[in-house]
Amino acid sequence: MNGTPQAHAQPRARACASARAFAVSAASSFAIAGLVAAAVLAAAACGKSKPVLSLYTWSDYIKPELIRRFERERGCRVVLDTFESNEAMYAKLRAGASGYDLLTPSSYMVSLMRAQGMLRRLDHALIPNLAHVDPDYLALASDPAMDHSVPYMISNSGIAYLEGRVRDIVPSWRMFGRQDLRGRMTMFNDMRETVGAALKALGHSINTTDPAELAAAESLLLEWKKNIAKFENEQYKIGLASGEFLLVHAWNGDVFQVRKENPDVRFLVPEEGAIVSCDDLVIPADAREPGLAHAFIDFLHDPAVAAENTAAVSFLCPNKDSYPLLPAEIRDDPGIFMAPEIRARSEFIADIGAANALYVQVWDRLKSAR
Amino acid sequence: MRRSRFPVVVTALVMAFFYLPIFILVANSFNPARFSSRWQGFSLVWYRRLFESPEIWAALKNTLLIAVSVTAVSVVLGTAAAYALHRYGQSRLQRVHYTLIYQPLVVPEILMGISLLMAFVAAGVPLGLFTVFLAHVTFCVSFVAMTVLGRLQDFDFSIVEAARDLGASPWQSARKVLIPALMPGIVAGALLAFTLSIDDFVITFFVAGPGSTTLPLRIYSMIKYGAPPMINALSTLLLAVTFTAVVASQRLARAKR
Repeated sequence: MNGTPQAHAQPRARACASARAFAVSAASSFAIAGLVAAAVLAAAACGKSKPVLSLYTWSDYIKPELIRRFERERGCRVVLDTFESNEAMYAKLRAGASGYDLLTPSSYMVSLMRAQGMLRRLDHALIPNLAHVDPDYLALASDPAMDHSVPYMISNSGIAYLEGRVRDIVPSWRMFGRQDLRGRMTMFNDMRETVGAALKALGHSINTTDPAELAAAESLLLEWKKNIAKFENEQYKIGLASGEFLLVHAWNGDVFQVRKENPDVRFLVPEEGAIVSCDDLVIPADAREPGLAHAFIDFLHDPAVAAENTAAVSFLCPNKDSYPLLPAEIRDDPGIFMAPEIRARSEFIADIGAANALYVQVWDRLKSAR
Repeated sequence: MRRSRFPVVVTALVMAFFYLPIFILVANSFNPARFSSRWQGFSLVWYRRLFESPEIWAALKNTLLIAVSVTAVSVVLGTAAAYALHRYGQSRLQRVHYTLIYQPLVVPEILMGISLLMAFVAAGVPLGLFTVFLAHVTFCVSFVAMTVLGRLQDFDFSIVEAARDLGASPWQSARKVLIPALMPGIVAGALLAFTLSIDDFVITFFVAGPGSTTLPLRIYSMIKYGAPPMINALSTLLLAVTFTAVVASQRLARAKR
């Protein structure tokens, strides 16, 4: 690419000199640019002497004013970063990312992280407000003693529908068998949630490992599939808001957001019970500010703070002493506050180990059926 | 002969293809609906939400800070690399150098993100803005080097030699002849580096630490619980700023002439 060697033999000496000069100028301007960049980055990173608590959580999952209040009370700075899936957060921490003091993964991810020794054992003496955590939800949780995790927000799936367009609503999963709604209903594209809905409709546990119960659920699902427009987790919100779908398998937090746009939307929890999921507060084993992290868990479970947070994020913080402080429209909403008898029939998704293969078979046959 | 309408139709279609999405984005930033794309009346609600969200502005600040410093550093390094590759491209060392420079263009981003993260963890570098900066420089240098290299291949080095014959010092000939001649390539490389740094998600996701969330990371995490239409509002504001800057610079350039 340099032309013929002979042609270059003589001028190369000069070209070398200019190359050297260029290298010098490049090096000096690089040094300047580098210094500027380093200075700017250092200035941006400086935290003064205040201790810093680093949260790693879902977006819009805590009321911003509460963070400001905690900063004032503790004389610290809170840095908030966000992830968009449990798996992404896990992959990053697993690869060695550190520096986070408090995380909010979903329960199933908490079990996994705990089994791998990624979580710090909680010191209950530093969290007196644990006394306020709702024992009814703890009974369903995978870590009822709160050794490593404290429930932060509860959500559950159920059925959302358009009140003006669906007649004769029955609070049951069997609504998906309604032939008059054929093609206007959706269910989740989620193996455990959707098979779980059928198991609940039949009165079985969503964590069953009995092949006969799963076979019954499969034939019920094949029946329902004829009426279902599609299996889907996200677009149903748009379809419900625009009236394309009349009845959908839905998560309660999503439905509250859709309802702001279409007031005709209603949410119900089937009386056979629902699938409850929970995001937990956990402290990673390599946290830099474990003391501050404990203090923040304690702060979030202060009943007044918990009530304010629940009202702001539309999920339920399972803090029993915060319930009387909640605004009436939340307290009276059966989508957020399940009736006690329905809650008793509801379950968390548990890790069922090898029996998972049975679910995969049912799910594959369901998805490929015509 | 009648002129064919074909070019007009194609131009219109290409313009629509490029600008319709942007137009829809701007229009939707004034639509209060989050889920339905149905028009629900003019509203500034997303702009208000945007100004009430300090995290988005912090993310924007991080993004711009990193993009500017990455551009500055990778332009210098990339140009120097291109020069070395061009002048001494036949030597074995430079062939290795070429492979190294070429690598980030072909390596999958996710591989690069994970390996950079593991390298930083192994070296004990705390994750933060600085690691994001280093990671972005790593791939931006390659893009700058490739653009400048293209320019160098058309460059006639006898001009530099003529300058030296006429008594210019090595420094002068580099500064007054070589760099101005390469400028279009350098500017193109700088713009490329800036753009790549601003919208990189995959690599940034792995090497970002506490407090260094960039705008792409923030936007992606808003999909689950947040309010993505706020981003329509932010994009509209950024578009307005860019557009004003371009128009102003063109006016100034014309006034100078």
